[in-house]
Amino acid sequence: MTQTSESSSDATSDGTDVLVEASDLEVYFPIKSGIIFDRTVGHVRAVDGVDLTIHRGETYGLVGESGCGKSTLGKAILNLEPPTAGSVVFDGTDIASLKGEDLRRERKRFQMVFQDPMSSLDPRQTVENLLLEGMRAHGLDTDKDATRARLRELMSSVGLPVAALSKYPHEFSGGQRQRIGIARALSVGPDLIVADEPVSALDVSIQAQVINLLQDLQDELGLTYLVVAHDLAVVRHISDRIGVMYLGGLVEESDGAELYDVPLHPYTRALMSAVPVPDPQVEDSREQILLTGDLPSPANPPSGCRFHTRCPWKQETLCDTERPQLRVVEVDGASASHRVACHYAEQVASGEIQPHQVEAVSVESGFTGPVDGPDAPPEAYVGV
Amino acid sequence: MTQTQHTNRPRGGSSEPLLSVRDLRVTFQRQGEEEFHAVDGVSFDVRPGQTVGLVGESGCGKSVTSLAIMGLLPGRGNRVSGSAIFDGEDLLTLSPAAMRDRRGSEIAMIFQDPLSSLNPVISIGRQVTEVMERHQGLSRKQATPKAVELLERVGIPDPKARLLNYPHQLSGGMRQRALIAMALACNPRLLIADEPTTALDVTIQAQILALLKELVVDTGTALVMITHDLGVVAGLCDEVNVLYGGKVVERGGRHGLFRDPRHPYTVGLLNSIPRLDAARGEKLSPVPGSVADNLPWTSACAFAPRCSQVVDACTRETPQWEGDQVVGHRCFNPMGGTR
Repeated sequence: MTQTSESSSDATSDGTDVLVEASDLEVYFPIKSGIIFDRTVGHVRAVDGVDLTIHRGETYGLVGESGCGKSTLGKAILNLEPPTAGSVVFDGTDIASLKGEDLRRERKRFQMVFQDPMSSLDPRQTVENLLLEGMRAHGLDTDKDATRARLRELMSSVGLPVAALSKYPHEFSGGQRQRIGIARALSVGPDLIVADEPVSALDVSIQAQVINLLQDLQDELGLTYLVVAHDLAVVRHISDRIGVMYLGGLVEESDGAELYDVPLHPYTRALMSAVPVPDPQVEDSREQILLTGDLPSPANPPSGCRFHTRCPWKQETLCDTERPQLRVVEVDGASASHRVACHYAEQVASGEIQPHQVEAVSVESGFTGPVDGPDAPPEAYVGV
Repeated sequence: MTQTQHTNRPRGGSSEPLLSVRDLRVTFQRQGEEEFHAVDGVSFDVRPGQTVGLVGESGCGKSVTSLAIMGLLPGRGNRVSGSAIFDGEDLLTLSPAAMRDRRGSEIAMIFQDPLSSLNPVISIGRQVTEVMERHQGLSRKQATPKAVELLERVGIPDPKARLLNYPHQLSGGMRQRALIAMALACNPRLLIADEPTTALDVTIQAQILALLKELVVDTGTALVMITHDLGVVAGLCDEVNVLYGGKVVERGGRHGLFRDPRHPYTVGLLNSIPRLDAARGEKLSPVPGSVADNLPWTSACAFAPRCSQVVDACTRETPQWEGDQVVGHRCFNPMGGTR
């Protein structure tokens, strides 16, 4: 933790200090076939050319639906899922090219909080051992008294009683388990925490407690977060900047507030209009953009703009032939940091192009599930 | 009934209730353990063409309520009392055979997880036609074109080809649509949807909710919507019941309830949700503690340990229902009060 406070002191509040820079990041998973020979017959392009910059001390929210590659991107940034191509520069070091012991040593600077606190905590270890394991691995457990004090400090910072140290994960409720997961990530004093769906398995009142905890810890320790989630309302609440992902690529990136006021990409608009608002008056009056069909298979993504098969604003030219790149557009209310990957963003924003009906296309069966497990919304709510 | 003159009362309140649940109690008993009251005296009405929401967090008894009404609770280890009058008959006292005749034809249910509620080794077409064969006496040949129609109606592209597919070949949204098609096969008069969109992505959730809304308007089916998501309730339900610890703690029309919530738990739930249209940077004010901190309803208000409005009476007596079958709450020290 001392390390964190040192590094946070030179962090500038306007966010010019870059902590993580990922460029042209690609993660492909091979699809194997054959009984005797394991032939690779294709690739699932989970992350397909993403550039991402995270400034020190900020919260970057990555939002998208199941199968868009957001969890894989989060893991690739930590090199938990080795990128197929591209680089991830973390505070001057390229993590993507690190291997073995060098990578392991570097890991204490970036930690992860997982979605399901039950399956990410070893059921046979006490909380104390869970927290100590990481500290030992990084040589932070040298002085018995100091370690003791550090454990106590960790427990109080995540709002758990010290007595909890001698208990096992099953003795806690879902929200408390998630607090243990956060304490474990904090135990080695990281600069960056990647939180993969940190609250989606929790009940709403518990969800709010954990969100508040994450914010308090950030203020206190100067942490940098990359929050990966499918819930746009949660992401917008905690993030300074938000990236919207669709089928392996970023389609829009902007400040949290601006994204809601001036959504530029058709997919962002649809996503935003689909999030239910707990206010009947808003629900009755607002216009919903209902998308038809499902997410296309990332093993066989559509040509051109990935979204063109479902886009109500799709045009005859460009959309299905050329893949749009993130660019700054000149639209009222959009700042210079607001980038969007749409050929016709200006015309859509001005109303020059009007939405039209889209026929639902059958998605090729076979591959329909999320690219990898944890980013799917929870199947059951973890009880409290 | 004269509830229509009040603006905060739900619409559709003039006709006779289709389903009338009174004092429903479900108690689970395990050997050597204390009895657990999962549902503790729940009463509500559902009228034709009306959508009634049951909202609450894990463990509030919302799913057990629906399972009890459908007669789907396991045969042992539980005790159900009270009544659930559907069309003049008490569903809770019907014989299993009589209940089977109604389930799937007059009352249908949509479950949360479509993958585990569909049979993985039977094709979609077979599963949809089976319902019609069982309840309407159709042959498989007669039922097949109807199944195609149903799948088309719930928005499955290329329905003919999908009949031969197995559940694993469909996406989550498609599976949920197939499940809805099965539920609609016999034109049920009452549809119970237990968290139908929780396992789905938001854009797919919006599609499914739009579909359910359309069905209620088109067919006059009564819908009981069980969910934890107040956002879903705000867009869909005419009447909302907020459950806590097995009891309804507040009820109201959706406009009234969201504009002027009375029970501190409802207020707490509303304050816990990050809203997409709220100003950024505001702190959430969650309900402190967890459901594990409940007090027993028999001698106190179960919510008292987590409540911001707690008064002396809360830990000494059971709060009684203030109001009627349409609007009301269960609290000694309610908030707001303009209605």
